[in-house]
Amino acid sequence: MGPLREDALRRAEPAAPPGPRTPRAGLLALGLGLALVLALTAAVCLGPTDLAPGQVWSVVLRRLGGTPPRPGTDDLIVWQLRVPRALLAALVGAGLGLVGTAAQALVRNPLADPYLLGISNGASLGAVAAIVLGAGGSSGLGLPAAAFAGALGSFALVWGVARRGGGFSPLRLVLAGVGIGQFLSGFTSYLVLQAGDEQQTRSVLFWLMGSLSGATWSVLGPPALALAAGLLALMARARPMNALLMGEETAAGVGVDVTRLRRELFVVTGLLTGVLVAVSGAIGFVGLMVPHLCRLVIGGDHRRLLPLSALTGALLLVVVDLVCRTAMDTQELPVGVVTAMIGAPALLFVLDRRTAVGR
Amino acid sequence: MNVAIEDLHVGYAGRDVVSGVRLIAAAGETAGLVGPNGSGKSTVLRTVYRHLRPTAGRVLLAGTDLRTLTPGQTARRVAALPQERGSDFELTVHEVVAMGRMPYQRAFAGEGRADREAVADALAAVGLAGHGGRRFAALSGGERQRALLARAFAQDPDVLVLDEPTNHLDVRHQVELLALLRARRRTTLISLHDLNAAASLCDRLHVLHAGRVVASGPPREVLTPRLLAEVFGVRAAVTDHPLTGEVLIAYDHREVLPTGDG
Repeated sequence: MGPLREDALRRAEPAAPPGPRTPRAGLLALGLGLALVLALTAAVCLGPTDLAPGQVWSVVLRRLGGTPPRPGTDDLIVWQLRVPRALLAALVGAGLGLVGTAAQALVRNPLADPYLLGISNGASLGAVAAIVLGAGGSSGLGLPAAAFAGALGSFALVWGVARRGGGFSPLRLVLAGVGIGQFLSGFTSYLVLQAGDEQQTRSVLFWLMGSLSGATWSVLGPPALALAAGLLALMARARPMNALLMGEETAAGVGVDVTRLRRELFVVTGLLTGVLVAVSGAIGFVGLMVPHLCRLVIGGDHRRLLPLSALTGALLLVVVDLVCRTAMDTQELPVGVVTAMIGAPALLFVLDRRTAVGR
Repeated sequence: MNVAIEDLHVGYAGRDVVSGVRLIAAAGETAGLVGPNGSGKSTVLRTVYRHLRPTAGRVLLAGTDLRTLTPGQTARRVAALPQERGSDFELTVHEVVAMGRMPYQRAFAGEGRADREAVADALAAVGLAGHGGRRFAALSGGERQRALLARAFAQDPDVLVLDEPTNHLDVRHQVELLALLRARRRTTLISLHDLNAAASLCDRLHVLHAGRVVASGPPREVLTPRLLAEVFGVRAAVTDHPLTGEVLIAYDHREVLPTGDG
């Protein structure tokens, strides 16, 4: 043994810095947290009427402190309109970052997207049915409820198809998700064509491209709860998820019940995606891009990757929504349009860099 | 800890790949599984680290049926080095080796002192001390296998299961890996294509053919020209290694022999 070990050491290249990269991840989380607070502040300050950060924080602190608000437009704009919207952007962004990470571990593909599993297509069908057939009306919780019902329906269908043959294999999941997703979006397209008037078509398209304009305080509860529960459930499985990345056999060898883990990840991903899509429409690219970028910066360990993806997703969507609200004077841009316009080039840049580095 | 495989049947899609395998690895012994491609070696090993469930028969660890143990309890006794190669998910060598500690860790707990020591010991044992911060995907083939072996060592198992660990390695790295196994002897089940390497490393060999064990015993007794012709379909001379005195198989590389099952 002795000679071999020495020899192996002698041949070894100059050692890289040993140990995990935890301190860097901690600093990064702190930086992202601060940036998120700044972005939220900016999101509440800017709009058709610009407010100073001081005004904004005084309203927020009065409200949080339980002091009765000063009557006036400041309170209305800040507390009733912009704060819920900024918070919804943060919640949805964080959720998308989280489900993206989970979906990528679930199907063991770093380019997987939560929408690959077909959940968003069901939600879209539900929402569009509500708008066009007038089932839920366009007011109150009718639209999110219809979208969530659609999400649950497609989740059940994908589950039913994917579990056959036992084992929830990545390939079956993706094929079931894509197949059922396409099937459902066929119905959605049909409904869009049946839409009665231009106004309906517009609101359908707007919803399909993702929008946070429905934000009110009453909408925030479900995504906040779902995000907290999802983060907890995924963090509890962070190590088994790491093992799954190495392969099913490796995971089994270190004591992971692979089929059960996949089932649990699918449930968490499906339900959280359903809630997010229900309140915001199908916002693309965040779930694909955010985990991928985070992985390049802090590595693939899910104990760090999950919380940092959530933070990054929140920050990204708050900024993007701010751009969407303020870029044009006359109308809002759908969030999904801007995430795609930023996301696709960012992804191509990342791919290009990876190829250039040469692996 | 001895391993006993009793009348094991494993099938995919209703067809038996392994039918009625019986073998015992005594405590501390290195048992080699050899046989042609598709003979069922990997399938047998996969039932021992519980990637596959037997359709009939059982696997006993020191007399305890695997099915009565939880996956975590099994992983504290059995560590595996499967053939699959990890995908590109930006894990460091340290993170990969630390996976071996999973069976000992609670969900939200950090890495304890025992975990860090086990990882450091395992890295040192395979000559990768100080390389924990490198990206696993950037390792060379030989380093990668050694890192995966370190993960198995970090698991502190009673039984080591290795499926073709020397595949895709050059001769030097093959010898190096087998030397690492010799240095840390414990009950080991290993499948190997290289019969000379298997004869050198293993205490006993079990020859699999079409899902059954057709011969078991010390390498010198098992590896006969007749068996090599019947099971592997090659003509070979079996002699003594001029340097080590171990069994040495010299193949006739010019042509194969008919094997009966095509």
